Amino acid sequence: MKVSFFETVRYLPPSALPTEWPVPSGAYDPEAGARAYRGMIERLAYVEELGFDWVSVSEHHYSPRILTPSPIVSAAFIAAHLKKLTIALLGPIVPHSNPVRVAEELAMLDTMAQGRLVVGLLRGTANEAMTYDLNPQEARERTDEGMELILRAWTEPQPFGWQGRHFQYRTVSIWPRPLQQPHPPTYALGTSRESCDFAARHRLGCGVSYGPFEVMARATRHYREQCARHGWEPTPEQILYRANMLVAETDDEAHAQLRAQSNQAPFALRAGVRDAMMTLDSRNIAGEARAPVVTGALPTTFVGSPDTVVEQVRRCREVVGAGVLDLSLHTPGSTDLEPLTRALELFGRKVLPRIRDI
Amino acid sequence: MFAEGHVDAGGVRLRYLEAGQGTPLVDLSGPDATTRAHGLLARQFRVIVLDPPPATSVGALADGLRRLGLDAVDLMGASSAAETAVRLALHAPERVRALVLEAPDAIRDADLERRLPDVAAPTLVLLGTRDETATGRVYKARMPTCHLVYVYDAARAIGAERPEAFAEVVADFLERHDAFVISRARTVIYP
Repeated sequence: MKVSFFETVRYLPPSALPTEWPVPSGAYDPEAGARAYRGMIERLAYVEELGFDWVSVSEHHYSPRILTPSPIVSAAFIAAHLKKLTIALLGPIVPHSNPVRVAEELAMLDTMAQGRLVVGLLRGTANEAMTYDLNPQEARERTDEGMELILRAWTEPQPFGWQGRHFQYRTVSIWPRPLQQPHPPTYALGTSRESCDFAARHRLGCGVSYGPFEVMARATRHYREQCARHGWEPTPEQILYRANMLVAETDDEAHAQLRAQSNQAPFALRAGVRDAMMTLDSRNIAGEARAPVVTGALPTTFVGSPDTVVEQVRRCREVVGAGVLDLSLHTPGSTDLEPLTRALELFGRKVLPRIRDI
Repeated sequence: MFAEGHVDAGGVRLRYLEAGQGTPLVDLSGPDATTRAHGLLARQFRVIVLDPPPATSVGALADGLRRLGLDAVDLMGASSAAETAVRLALHAPERVRALVLEAPDAIRDADLERRLPDVAAPTLVLLGTRDETATGRVYKARMPTCHLVYVYDAARAIGAERPEAFAEVVADFLERHDAFVISRARTVIYP
């Protein structure tokens, strides 16, 4: 099992902030922001020392919860400070990006980080459709097309044009190309049938997140079936599971902490926007419809003492088939860093050494 | 609407469908392969979808075009007909204004492949992103006059699968040749 630390940059606001997305940018405190990015590097030095394989960064906007609107900038900064960790961009939000630009920047990053890059391409959470005025009903199609264009830009040796549905270019010929050839290990992130099919067709990894093992297993099973249809079999490392983990000295303590967590949606939307988004943002798990996450907190699927959590990881490996765990060890957006530091220490000492061989 | 006709080409009777007015655009894919893309192109071009003559008899093809009253044409060919189109461009460069090759087959004639750099006509090669063979890349690699464009989510019958996308890029290329790489898309939302 490879283990990845999901780094969200812990911004500690000097005073309480509104919870609705978007959070007013006037409430941002530049000094607190500077402290958060310095803290990120200090924390990641510790993460590296504990023996994590990867650090992952994601793309979210207009909120202090995850302070990395450009994961590529985050990754470049991390790569310059830390020499061993593999850096996983999970990932650029493809549908509202310029795919050619993404291909160029990831190729730069892979080269500057000496081949330590892993890439996850995704559609983004429901709120992100509003970040750059993306029509949520076009998001799925734009994601598929954008991902295909990124792969083509990385691998096509000749200058080419792209006559797409949502993207059009007459001239593409990127420099540099990635250091890792033909391209960095890449995942299509998401549980949807479209995402799994895309991954299978292009021999990419598949990444699922947050849901219960049995539910996520429906997506990874579909992915494996599609891979077989395309004549190949993914390695365990090509199945990634991102999850919340709450590890404490005892089960009781962990469950008490879980009960104390707020049930706030990660990016809470105003009721009128939320309700409209529920009808416009269509999602599925291996073809079966599911609602976008616009209400309530994301589930925590690993909870308990180190012994309990190790067993849960074993079950995750069996049920989901995941060979990479991308872990959020304490809810982003909290105003206290201490629980995260304690969780990291406990995880590094009592869990990490025991899940390597799972 | 397309009208049917026949023409004698070096002793072979070739069938064709024709529609539209303007610069002649001859497609060697054969009338049975007519798609909605041809209809779209016929808004701008005089489109003639002609039976493909045998690949080696480009003299006959030139003869057929002459009998149709066509002096110089834009010439299009898909799959194996792409090779015929390239042969005519080499054989009678003055007759071919520009070439469009749709999902061209692999070139099996080493001599023809060797001569690709001599093709003078501006050439557009279209490949579908679902075409895993993508044999047409050799044209881009060997021909200085060649542009390569991938048509997303098409396999090999690009005109049938993505007619609007196909017709737009073909028409733009035939109108502007090399300069078609310069965007004319307008992005002003409100003046």
